Amino acid sequence: MHPSAIYAATVDSHTFATFRALVEAIIPDSPVSATYSPELTAGAADLCIHEYMIWELDHSLSLVLGFGLTDIPLSCSTAGLLNVGAVHLAASRQLQHPPNPLLWESGPFTAISRNDRISVLAMLEQGNIDPGVLPPPYRNDLGFTRYMIDFLNRQTMFGNYSEWSAYGTTRLRTPTERRLEYFPVSWKQAEYPGVVPGYRALLGYMLTIERKGGESTIV
Amino acid sequence: MFDADVIVIGSGGGGAVAAKELGEAGLKVLVLEAGPWYGNKQWANPNSERGGEWSSDYKDLDVGIYKKIFNAYENNMNDLVSGVFRFGPADRRRTPWHRVMRQKGEIWQLSGVGGTTQLYWSQSPRAFPLAVDNIWPISYRELIPYYEKAEATLPVQFAPTTPKEELFYYGAKKAGWPLIPTLNVTTPGYRPNPNAILPTNEHLMDQSYSLEQLSNMEGCTLKGNCVNGCTTGSSVDKIAKRSTLVSYVPLALKTGNVAIRPNSFVIKLLTAQDPKEGLRATGVQFRDTWTGEIGELTARTVVMAAGCIESPRLWLNSGLPYNEWVGRGLTNHCFDWVAGVFDEKDLMRIMGLPAVYPYAGHTSGARVDIPGTGIFQVSCLSPGLMSFLTYGFSEAGYDALNPPEPGAPWDIHGRVVGPQLKELMMNYSRTMSILILTDDETLYRNRVQVDPLLKDENGPIPIMYYTPSPKTLKRRDQLARYASETLKQAGARKIIRSDTPFGSMIHLESTMRMGYVTDTNCEAYQVRRLFIADNSVHFNGIGGPNPTLTTQALATRTAEKIVTKYFS
Repeated sequence: MHPSAIYAATVDSHTFATFRALVEAIIPDSPVSATYSPELTAGAADLCIHEYMIWELDHSLSLVLGFGLTDIPLSCSTAGLLNVGAVHLAASRQLQHPPNPLLWESGPFTAISRNDRISVLAMLEQGNIDPGVLPPPYRNDLGFTRYMIDFLNRQTMFGNYSEWSAYGTTRLRTPTERRLEYFPVSWKQAEYPGVVPGYRALLGYMLTIERKGGESTIV
Repeated sequence: MFDADVIVIGSGGGGAVAAKELGEAGLKVLVLEAGPWYGNKQWANPNSERGGEWSSDYKDLDVGIYKKIFNAYENNMNDLVSGVFRFGPADRRRTPWHRVMRQKGEIWQLSGVGGTTQLYWSQSPRAFPLAVDNIWPISYRELIPYYEKAEATLPVQFAPTTPKEELFYYGAKKAGWPLIPTLNVTTPGYRPNPNAILPTNEHLMDQSYSLEQLSNMEGCTLKGNCVNGCTTGSSVDKIAKRSTLVSYVPLALKTGNVAIRPNSFVIKLLTAQDPKEGLRATGVQFRDTWTGEIGELTARTVVMAAGCIESPRLWLNSGLPYNEWVGRGLTNHCFDWVAGVFDEKDLMRIMGLPAVYPYAGHTSGARVDIPGTGIFQVSCLSPGLMSFLTYGFSEAGYDALNPPEPGAPWDIHGRVVGPQLKELMMNYSRTMSILILTDDETLYRNRVQVDPLLKDENGPIPIMYYTPSPKTLKRRDQLARYASETLKQAGARKIIRSDTPFGSMIHLESTMRMGYVTDTNCEAYQVRRLFIADNSVHFNGIGGPNPTLTTQALATRTAEKIVTKYFS
């Protein structure tokens, strides 16, 4: 079994569900309508971007601790951060919609509506929470919390609108061993033609630098 | 006995230039680079196997290996955690090297031969004279011959026009900006970018050549992957976009006097007390990133070109004499990003084309320069990068929770999520985005320090602090308004201002300032024979223009000074 496949199987279900809730709030699936094909409606959760985010957060930090360099996975603590935020939003009566009671036990962030999840992100970003209640490494560090909220937003978008989902069954392998299995769905959504050798798009030159004998002139 | 005449630390925008110039002067040069070397026979699988140790032979360059790695797929290439382009060890199973950021932002810096120029968009404008004369300890006139040499070597040429530039010119003209046909910008106006990209292949519009054929010939094919790693060209040194990996590094190897060792992170500068000179640089200690072994090399002079973060870090971690300006005065052009969404029918009316084609042409091909304020330049990226820079990366938070003030020239200010984001991204091919570079005030408080507690395998790690001044923010806001106006004049129906986080760091400059840390030869005041040849030696943010060419001009000049002072 490949290390990345083992890795994928070890992520705990709470973390997995929390990240799924995160990415579907940022890039939802659109309701299927007559105007859009199913491919065009796919959202970040359909493209497994939660798995991408977990992988990225678990492979982004190593520091010297004790005797040597140690990998510090961040996905579990970051899921904890989002869940603490959801509890705080609920406790301070700022939820727009009642949470789903069936999901509350397993993960408050998954139990609240998509709009409320974005409110949790905004609250954490603005620091409208006692930083002492956040899980390590976010505890008492609103600066790092703010950095992470921004990262969660932009990296979800980068993962979704890049080719990552098209690595298909190889998506969680070490990057050098991933293989594209099809044309990325998100690139179809954006009408991006993909990587091509060139475009016959030359319309001319406004100015040109001419160099002769060490002198240059602009024509 | 020394191992070399000169050791150069880093092979990016500045280090590669210094190596080539010093090698041409006949000096024996050793270059140490922390990251991988892409496109060299000694490292056929640079991201998964250790490969060789040194390369000094031009014949080692291999365009097949280069093109296999540089496949232009944005997640594979540009992911800052795990991509081909990241600041981290060559082994992609490992994590990147960490810098502490307690604010929103991202440091877009790369390790590897060519440094960050591997993905830079190759804009090569000169500094604004206004930001140099009577401010820097040297004059703009002093820089001109070195600008000319670097421009001819790369070479630099004005960018061609593709649909997005045509639309930009149309908007800029209507907004009242005049054309400024110059390399020395003293008055405001628009012009094509002076880019370090080979002219467009002369057969590009000739259907009898396939695009596949053209991509293996000399000359740009307008494929739009400057930021994802350019692959157009017949050999490594003929790749269209002139990263130093394909321009100065091959020229350095051709001198026969330069050897480069990738996968070698310099962790300490070695010094000695010289009876005549006082404290002087004598060499470096470095760590092999694959084996962890520590090596030492000695030289008569050392050129530090590790970049704006690593150069001060190295000074501090080497226990060199205290200087209150080491790591201080960080500028980063306090970016912003404004985009306009167009209707197909308007584009048909204006250009006779149904889209902006953001993916065709140079990543960035045209600009408006405003000395004293900054620059805005049309900049279009592949969808993943574009989505986060336009809709996901903001100092302002979520647009929906904090809409723009009434009367603002933008319809959206800040992040967009949910169904609205999907709708906007469906208009990616009809969206033109503009990068804003601000004339950023140099402040003592903006800095790179090393963490008192946190270390990685290379020593105490850098912490970044950057908060712009009110003056910088005012200029940035003015530029965002100018850019919005140009988009509106061009026919955009919806304007988005991202309000990019202040911690977005791409054009880092001035953390080892000339006049404070170095003299006018770029030699450290407190450590003789230690020269600096990266963006950190700039006195300020040069008024907003993209910094690489100025670093390359200065590195050319510094190489000359080294030869004159120590090797004549």
